[in-house]
Amino acid sequence: MAFLQTHEVSMRFGGIDALNGVSISAEPGLVTGLIGPNGAGKTTLFNIITGLQPPTSGQVFLDGRDVTSVSVYRRARLGIGRTFQRLEIFGSLSVRDNIRVTVEVRRRWSRQRIDIKHETDAILARVGLEEFAKVPADTLPTGSARLVELGRALATRPRLLLLDEPGSGLDAAETEAFGLLLADLAQDGLAVLLVEHDMDLVMKACSHLMVLDFGELIASGTPEEIRANQQVQDAYLGAEEPPVGSITEPGLAGAGTLP
Amino acid sequence: MSLFIGLTIAGLATGAIYAIAASGLVVTYTTSGVFNFAHGSLGMLMTFLYWQLRVADHWAGPLALGAVLLVAAPIVGAGLQLSLVRWIDINDTGIMLVMTLALLVLGMGVAYAIWPPDTARALGPFFGPSAFVTFLGQRITYEQLLCIGLAIAVALGLRLFLFNTRLGITMRAVVDDRPLVALNGWRTAKLNALSWAIGISLGALAAMLQATLFDDLSVLNLTFLVINSFAAAMLGRLRNLPLTFVGALVLGLAASYVTGYVHTQSGPLAELETVLPTLFLVIVLLALPSVRLRVGAPPARRSPRIASARVSGIQSVLVVAAAVVALPFLHGTNLGAVNQGLAIAILGLAVVLLSGYGGQLNLAMYTFLGLGAWLFTKLSPGGGLGGLVLVTLIGAVAGTLFALPALRLRGLELALSTLALSELVWYVLFNQSNVMENTITIHRLRLPFISLQGARANLVFLAVVFALLAFGVAAIRRSSFGRLLAATKDSPAGCATIGLNLSLTKIGITALSTALATFAGALYGSTQQQVTANDFYFYLGLFIVLIVYIWGVHSPMAALFGGLSLAIFPVIAPHLPAWASQLTYLAVGFGALSMVINPNGTLDAVSSRVRAAWENRQIRRPTAAPLREEARLLGIPADS
Repeated sequence: MAFLQTHEVSMRFGGIDALNGVSISAEPGLVTGLIGPNGAGKTTLFNIITGLQPPTSGQVFLDGRDVTSVSVYRRARLGIGRTFQRLEIFGSLSVRDNIRVTVEVRRRWSRQRIDIKHETDAILARVGLEEFAKVPADTLPTGSARLVELGRALATRPRLLLLDEPGSGLDAAETEAFGLLLADLAQDGLAVLLVEHDMDLVMKACSHLMVLDFGELIASGTPEEIRANQQVQDAYLGAEEPPVGSITEPGLAGAGTLP
Repeated sequence: MSLFIGLTIAGLATGAIYAIAASGLVVTYTTSGVFNFAHGSLGMLMTFLYWQLRVADHWAGPLALGAVLLVAAPIVGAGLQLSLVRWIDINDTGIMLVMTLALLVLGMGVAYAIWPPDTARALGPFFGPSAFVTFLGQRITYEQLLCIGLAIAVALGLRLFLFNTRLGITMRAVVDDRPLVALNGWRTAKLNALSWAIGISLGALAAMLQATLFDDLSVLNLTFLVINSFAAAMLGRLRNLPLTFVGALVLGLAASYVTGYVHTQSGPLAELETVLPTLFLVIVLLALPSVRLRVGAPPARRSPRIASARVSGIQSVLVVAAAVVALPFLHGTNLGAVNQGLAIAILGLAVVLLSGYGGQLNLAMYTFLGLGAWLFTKLSPGGGLGGLVLVTLIGAVAGTLFALPALRLRGLELALSTLALSELVWYVLFNQSNVMENTITIHRLRLPFISLQGARANLVFLAVVFALLAFGVAAIRRSSFGRLLAATKDSPAGCATIGLNLSLTKIGITALSTALATFAGALYGSTQQQVTANDFYFYLGLFIVLIVYIWGVHSPMAALFGGLSLAIFPVIAPHLPAWASQLTYLAVGFGALSMVINPNGTLDAVSSRVRAAWENRQIRRPTAAPLREEARLLGIPADS
């Protein structure tokens, strides 16, 4: 059964429909990609799932429970971890303390006996940030800062991980390693929902893709099915314009390419 | 019926003044993103300037009006924006508010220095005593009609300008996306300067109307007239001019009807007319829709280093040592000032906790100081230690109750609500005859085995208490709770998504700091032994916040320097030239403005420079080992 389900979620800002009747799901043990051109509503959907924004209509279910009106921190305690499109790290703390404070918070609300040092070190190692442990988080380059956010999300022991453009700022080698990490996380039983513009990473890491465009879900399927989907190609490349050369050239209207 | 008509006209005139003041505030906010706490202070300065030209220097009325409203006020507004406001990071709410609070204090200091309060001044009405019309049996003065007419003209004029002219629309666009406006060829600094010129002129107009309509030329009243207009401005969410206008009129009418129909000579209700605008502001703020957690905030400015336990310990020992060493040199007034300064320094630690670590700008700290002093004498008339403990616990509970309705508020709204509540408590509680309207006597704290009756013994006691508390406050920062506070400041959204209940954290830090503040109040009262309500006047809370920010709100030692500064300035001031007689206002005002250069405060700036100089020295000085190795490679004997 899907850990996350959204049912006909809509979001209206003034006269603009940021999301219109979007129903998606994320299964444990799978990496699900959520792609679409800029402004498609991906981050808005993440904000609704995590509770940072209430939807205009529709519902969000976690493990079968309607959490539409549950507060942000309670949803986090129910098992949602996320990273942000625009970094939300604790800049005045060191990398270690970013993770540590999360583990300390979890210990408080979960009332579990947790070895904070051991747990912090394990997460730092998992995301590959041990050598930066003492560095102030706000001095890190973007790619490393995104790994701090990921480590922090993992420190909450989530069952659902929402990753919003985590690959932004990573070089090729780091992206490769990140893809392996995603697979690893899915193997641990996490449901991973990934928003990314790096199509190489998306196509390799995701077993299932959903495509948003102008706030609507226009396609859903395997990477191969999505690659061949005309509606998706139109969304990225622009329906009026004839395709320019091969499909791997940068799109005219959106960001990213479809390898 | 005629009373009702009369009150309605009076209320409309008062509301019109609030509307003009509020409109100026909204203009500067919507076009620059800066909430100008000094709006009333600058208007007050312009009004005194008008008095100087019109009454003291006998200029013709229209000339004096034109010189102030069309020349001086725009120049002051534009000048401030170009020289200071443009450098303020509007995303750093704390610094933004501190800067404009500094301007408020500075404006008062300049006014007191140029126009000392010991001389009576009055601005006559614009029109003569026979200048009125009669409507349904009621006199309506030309002054009142002028106020109403000008308010309507301002409202319509601003609406047309900001929404129907290219310049006005562009001024509004600057707040949304300054770089984009600049890319389209507009000089954003000039646009902002224009908006501030308009805003300050409107503030000046409102203050002048207030002074003439109510025959009230007072630095304090004109400066804080603006609080009355805050409520109207907040009703319009600082953006909606028509709603601001309506809110202002409603407020003016309500105040007028209360004056006319509520006849209470004593007790809290007697203050209702005075506090009604403030009460209105509190209600508006608490009734505002919840502010969503902001995502995508820009990164925090560099945080100062946290002192280690060793360094904190050394600092605490040095504080006590300095107190003991200074003892023989302190007598009379100086001794009293240092005693007072140390008590206020303990209050400063509460500011460090709440604003420095917790990121909450609370302008009501002096209210808790006063509460502590009053409760100590009520609960422990003989000055017993048990009373001190009880006062501290009550302070924690009071802080929790204080925090509960304000949980949804952040940044500007929180600062406004605390200032408003502080004013309410002063009028409704402190200034009552059975509380502190008259001087109350407080017994010196009694400790077992130690007598604190002498000022010197009390000074050493306060130094020890401060040292221990400063060490404790620094330890809080190094603890898991301190990390939590830092995280909450950096990213509330990030904290919520890791499962942190932000409300509980906010209540916790508020309770801790208010407990410390009331504890400080008990010691302050014990030190001073006689206090009145005026010792805790609500706007004094601005000084303790500003002075701690100046020295460095993240450092407990800033509380020490801040407290001592505030106590010593009044002692030094009489020995200075007349223009510097308002040393406290001027020093605090200019000092806080310097935070544009040193946002982390003076102590951090000094220690950073010292550390950098030391590190440079270490780099430049070659060590012996590389030199020996070089000599060996070059074949130079080791002993040459």
